[in-house]
Amino acid sequence: MGGLARYLIIRALVIIPSILILYTLVFIILRILPGDPILAVLGTKNIPPDQLENLRRMAGLDKPLYVQYFEYLFNVLRGDFGVTITFPSGVPISTYIAQRFPATLELAISGFIVSIVIGLGTGTLAAIRKGTKTDAALKFYSIAAYVTFIPLLGMVLQYVFGVYLKWLPIAQRIDPGLAPRTITGLYVLDSVLTGNWAALKSSILHLILPSLTLGIVLSGAYTRLLRNNMVEVLSSDFIRNYYSRGIRERKIYWYALKNAFLPVVTYMGLQFAILLGGMVLTESTFSWPGMGTFIVERLEYRDYTSIQAAIIFFAFIVGLISLIVDALYALLDPRIRY
Amino acid sequence: MSRKRGISSAALIGIVVVILAVVAVGAYLATRGGGAPTTTTTTTTSPTTTQTTTQTTTTAQAKAAIVIGVTDKVTDLDPANAYDFFTWEILYNTMEGLVKYKPGTLEIVPGLAENWTVSSDGTIWTFKLRPNLKFSDGTPLTANDVVRSIKRVININGDPSWLVTSFVKDVEAPDNLTVVFHLKIPCSYFLSVLATPPYFPVNPNYPNDRYVSDALWGGAGPYKIANFTRDQELDLVPNPYYYGPAPNNSKVIIRFYKDASTMRMALLSGEIDIAWRTLLPADIVALSKQSGINVISVPSTFIRYLVLNVNMSPTNNLLVRQAIAAAINRTQIISTALMGAGTPLYSLIPTSMSAYKPVFLTYYGDGNLSLARQLLSQAGYSETNKLQLTLWYTPTHYGDTEASVATLIKQELEATGMIAVTLQSAEWGQYVQNARSGQMGAYLLGWYPDYLDPDDYTTPFLHTGDNKWLGNQYSNPQMDKLLEQAQVTVDEAARNQIYAQVQNLLAHDVPIVPLFEGKLYIAASSSISGIVPSPTMILMYNSITKTK
Repeated sequence: MGGLARYLIIRALVIIPSILILYTLVFIILRILPGDPILAVLGTKNIPPDQLENLRRMAGLDKPLYVQYFEYLFNVLRGDFGVTITFPSGVPISTYIAQRFPATLELAISGFIVSIVIGLGTGTLAAIRKGTKTDAALKFYSIAAYVTFIPLLGMVLQYVFGVYLKWLPIAQRIDPGLAPRTITGLYVLDSVLTGNWAALKSSILHLILPSLTLGIVLSGAYTRLLRNNMVEVLSSDFIRNYYSRGIRERKIYWYALKNAFLPVVTYMGLQFAILLGGMVLTESTFSWPGMGTFIVERLEYRDYTSIQAAIIFFAFIVGLISLIVDALYALLDPRIRY
Repeated sequence: MSRKRGISSAALIGIVVVILAVVAVGAYLATRGGGAPTTTTTTTTSPTTTQTTTQTTTTAQAKAAIVIGVTDKVTDLDPANAYDFFTWEILYNTMEGLVKYKPGTLEIVPGLAENWTVSSDGTIWTFKLRPNLKFSDGTPLTANDVVRSIKRVININGDPSWLVTSFVKDVEAPDNLTVVFHLKIPCSYFLSVLATPPYFPVNPNYPNDRYVSDALWGGAGPYKIANFTRDQELDLVPNPYYYGPAPNNSKVIIRFYKDASTMRMALLSGEIDIAWRTLLPADIVALSKQSGINVISVPSTFIRYLVLNVNMSPTNNLLVRQAIAAAINRTQIISTALMGAGTPLYSLIPTSMSAYKPVFLTYYGDGNLSLARQLLSQAGYSETNKLQLTLWYTPTHYGDTEASVATLIKQELEATGMIAVTLQSAEWGQYVQNARSGQMGAYLLGWYPDYLDPDDYTTPFLHTGDNKWLGNQYSNPQMDKLLEQAQVTVDEAARNQIYAQVQNLLAHDVPIVPLFEGKLYIAASSSISGIVPSPTMILMYNSITKTK
């Protein structure tokens, strides 16, 4: 594992320049994009020009660009993500990240689980039924799921299960007044930790539709990937050997699944970045108060510091996940050595 | 090798068919905008004709909590920095000023002050507070608190502070029940300004030197804030120390939605009792056909207009500006693009104000193509030598209907046969910057008032210097003089006469073409009563009742 540790340290160090490049790009793009954050908030309000200048100075926008660039960079290195420029101005962005990220994480985890469960089930079934109508139907499903527009699917689910059947809530994280005492910010976990069963029920019910939407869309790729891997494994010599030894079919499929799952793990790491992209649309559709809606809202107002901070934070999370996936891959496949 | 079959192909196809059927039903419901299945469609209200104003009823039964959905957001709960309509609505419900609007009207009535006097020169205003006033935590409220709160706004110098600093030279409290304002200039509409949140007394917990964005201490309004989770939920409970009658509900829960469609579904699914700011015109039409839902029209004072740059070709030509004013058909824009959610506006001053004169209708009519063609001919244009005009709009800031509004205006102008319009759009941040720097020739904008007086609809648009933000470079010394005169004229009839001249001059110079007043709608479940729609566009929650 010494080699693995060294590899992981190098991978971790690579994250730093990646984030630095990303920060630089985001900084430049935001400044190239036309639009002034102060004016965007005030819009047509008739504020005296000297007060406008004062607001700009307070937000640090009067300084030369290179000063803004390095000041912010050094602050981030010190763990200070800066303060919001637009409403409510002057609030530390770390406060927003602390409030919003648990919501995003909770939805990401549940959406991820749904996608894996559906992907594993459909992928395995398609492989076992290779060449049948089931395989063709699931092939269609995988393509349809992959290309489905999240807001459209979300809206259909909202109508069917929220408006028409009235079984599930259609938006937000929890019913009014039921939010559990904050420990981790993950409502499901906090509800369990505080023994607040009403909150647990409400938060799980609120999670179902957005998780299902996100999970269905993401599962398409898993279905296809797992099906192809498994078909390949099922036709390999060692599986034929198992059959000849009379091992039970169910057990054989389990062995095949374990082997076919390995490339899926790598894909799961990549998928996490896509998942975060899908989160933006899912959060918007379900009024989910997470980081996705935060970034969209701040983009509209050109809130430079908020957008920079959120993207750096996301880049860090994606880097961390890919590092974990690398470690997991090595642990799952004993042949891999670094 | 033998394979066990888990489910048959027929069963699988059956499942797919069921899923498709569910999706189809959902898509059908989504497109027809309906909710629960209805066997009979009862049109309870219509968006264009409805005016459901149910009077407050106090019953012996226990009061219920009301859940209100909004797509707006709370920006800054401190009145020293809050400067948007919805946040002001929360402040109007949790705080109160010396004066306030009578529910459902633009009439100003006593608030925390019982009465007031004004000096003969109009610069000294003296207010007498009601005795035994208290903040929502029980702390006594005195004239010193009023003075401290106003000086705090000046000291912090936040976004809305100009509403105080532009008018007030000094404010003092000679005793516990008296507040005296010394104004910089005589101001005939000071009461309208005084009714805005920067003048609301705030709890002593608010620090003097900085604003607190998520402040929950409040003031002395009908409610106090019990809980606020930004972008998720805001809970209001009745203020036990309020001098007036207790609210008709036990609690008000505000829930924040990302978009109007989700909010509409939340109303249909029963998650919220009231869908408020801001439903889309298509949602209004759909909801008005829904049984169990009442749609209430709110006469509003937000206006939409077309700005014409008087220093940029071709709109620097007066005849061109007048031709554009003549060609635009407001009625068509409202019926087609807004699905009826608006009222034609023929002046910058809203129709609900007594100073309103439909001068653009008098001068140019509505969609008067023959007059437009005549003016264009005089300006040297013809069907072979068309006026080339670039019309700007911003695609999302004013809702999803903006592109349709711009397209209709293009069609109406091109219907003259002598104008060729190119549409251009820019996102809000860039759009505002373009406007303020005078880079656009013709562009669509909207205005939410700061205070409800004709001055706020004229001076910021037409007075040299005050209209720098507008970017159309308009300046007319005669207009400036009239506006300054109106500011100090106290007598309403005399003031309205001045504004008549202002509006005539506006219609002649055409630096702006007024288009329409927006209409707001409240969609509420039929268990809700007591909603009082008001031209202030502020919904007061204390009169709303829910039948359990």
